[in-house]
Amino acid sequence: MVPVACSVVRRHRREIGDGVNTILVVDDEYLIADILGFALEDEGYLVEKASNGRKALDALKEKRVDLVITDYMMPVLNGEELLQAIREELELADLPVILMSGAQASQGRACPGKFAAVFDKPFDMDRMIATVRELLGT
Amino acid sequence: MVEQLKRLATGIEGLDALLKGGLVVGASYIVQGHPGSGKTILANQLACNHVREGGRVLVATLLSESHERLFQYLSTLSFFDAALVGDTIQFVSAFDTLEQDGLDAVVRLLRQEIARQQATLLIVDGLLNARSRAETSLDTKKFVSELQGHAAFAGCTLLLLTSARLDEGSPEHTMVDGVIELGEHLVGSTAVRHVQLRKTRGSGALSGRHECLITEAGLQVYPRLESLYSRPSQAGAQTLSWVATGVADLDAMLGGGLAEASVTLLMGPSGVGKTALGIAFLAASTKAAPGLHFGFYETPARLRLKACALGFDLPALEREGSVQLSWQSTTEGLLDQLGAQLLAQVEALGARRVVVDSLGAFGRLALEPARLNAFFRALTGELRARGVTVLLTWEMRDIFGSEITAPAPDLSSIVDNLILMRFAELDAQLHRALSVIKVRDSDHDPALQALSLGPNGISLARAFDGASGVLSGSATPPGDR
Repeated sequence: MVPVACSVVRRHRREIGDGVNTILVVDDEYLIADILGFALEDEGYLVEKASNGRKALDALKEKRVDLVITDYMMPVLNGEELLQAIREELELADLPVILMSGAQASQGRACPGKFAAVFDKPFDMDRMIATVRELLGT
Repeated sequence: MVEQLKRLATGIEGLDALLKGGLVVGASYIVQGHPGSGKTILANQLACNHVREGGRVLVATLLSESHERLFQYLSTLSFFDAALVGDTIQFVSAFDTLEQDGLDAVVRLLRQEIARQQATLLIVDGLLNARSRAETSLDTKKFVSELQGHAAFAGCTLLLLTSARLDEGSPEHTMVDGVIELGEHLVGSTAVRHVQLRKTRGSGALSGRHECLITEAGLQVYPRLESLYSRPSQAGAQTLSWVATGVADLDAMLGGGLAEASVTLLMGPSGVGKTALGIAFLAASTKAAPGLHFGFYETPARLRLKACALGFDLPALEREGSVQLSWQSTTEGLLDQLGAQLLAQVEALGARRVVVDSLGAFGRLALEPARLNAFFRALTGELRARGVTVLLTWEMRDIFGSEITAPAPDLSSIVDNLILMRFAELDAQLHRALSVIKVRDSDHDPALQALSLGPNGISLARAFDGASGVLSGSATPPGDR
């Protein structure tokens, strides 16, 4: 699927020790998180995973993360609620968050201005990687 | 007064009929069946219907299958609306929670999600995985029981889907209020889908197996007609009145026509004039009392031509809404589907007379011929109760011959009137012969009549007086005996 273009995104860069970026993948469907995680690792990124928005917030409190890729429809805290908590609760105003969602849910509900990019599942992995590279400037 | 339980309609008409109105609100059900049996379609059809009626649905999967793949398949079905997903239908995966944290964590997660989503229907797909994760059968029982408790407390109806064939003694079965089983069985080389309610606590239900189909519209359930209409749905006419057959001479033989809301069987070989009599009967329909032709062999176009040759203007009757021609396939479909279609078309048209041409086509679709008698009894009983006067045709195998076989055992006891048509050779001439064998509620003329078909319609005349053996096909003139 073609990613939905976003408005201006301030790239969030937090280089760690050896310069490897960490990406947090948030999805209650472990298969999707796994597949996306493997693809990102192949590109040289470090990948953390969480199965819902609340677990993602917990991970963000503990680890330095450069980019978040999150599902929309999840238990406990959905993608939109996670984004709101990232901005307001964790005060991470510059952390880029990509939304991936299915069944056309993203088009109607996600605000393109809030997310760095929006992908409809099933998405094109090459385009996702290209978007990640662009957002991280890698 | 007996209290009626509040129902949650599944949106699958036939299934709601089996369940006597739908699922019981706040109750728990297992839907079981092998992979591909239609559980997921049933559950999502129910979910979409429920949200259209104002409910909210939470679908939790304990499977590793992707939701996106599911949405792709569902998008080919007409009941599915992707716009509902993420809004009034929420899909969450509890697979990871099950794998990482166990059954108790899944219960906690779903309890939170029921409240968060304000769900009134919870669908849990993958009960088999929960069973696999349980260390003992008691754990499984506890899992189901806790889910039931949380759902019921929130006023949420619970549906548990499993591909396991759980038996009556399984811990899951003992806990839930109902078990809906979907399956498939072979009849010859034909695979037939079926649904069976194996348990319905605190609720009446239509037991036994009922055939179903999966079409673009989703799961379609066809209750066995004899089960659905073991008693007709309405009382029917309390007074006796008469309707014209469309053939004045036949009305005279019958003592004024056919009794309203009666069933007449017209038996005869191919070409003898059964369809023509059916057309005449249909052409007597009016806007106030429309007629339906429920046919299998003659297409509407051919029927119109045939009617024209007899002097009847069917297209004009169709245009004014007095007549409807409905053609059915003889190779596709299920017996109960056909019965349901006939009754639905009668209902939609408000039909007061129906021609079924011919009854034999029902027999060809009957996978269990032993059911036919009960099926016909229920179908004709329901049509009578709806005030419909019915003309059924039956094609006899032999064009000539002395042997006359009944279409189905005891069928003559089901029909009110019986008319026999035969070809008869007399004085080197082939004649169409008609005799009224039986008329309920009326005296009738038992004489054999010769039937004439022509551009001025259908007429009957006495042509066999004194002759014998007419019904055998070879009549003996009076002087030759």
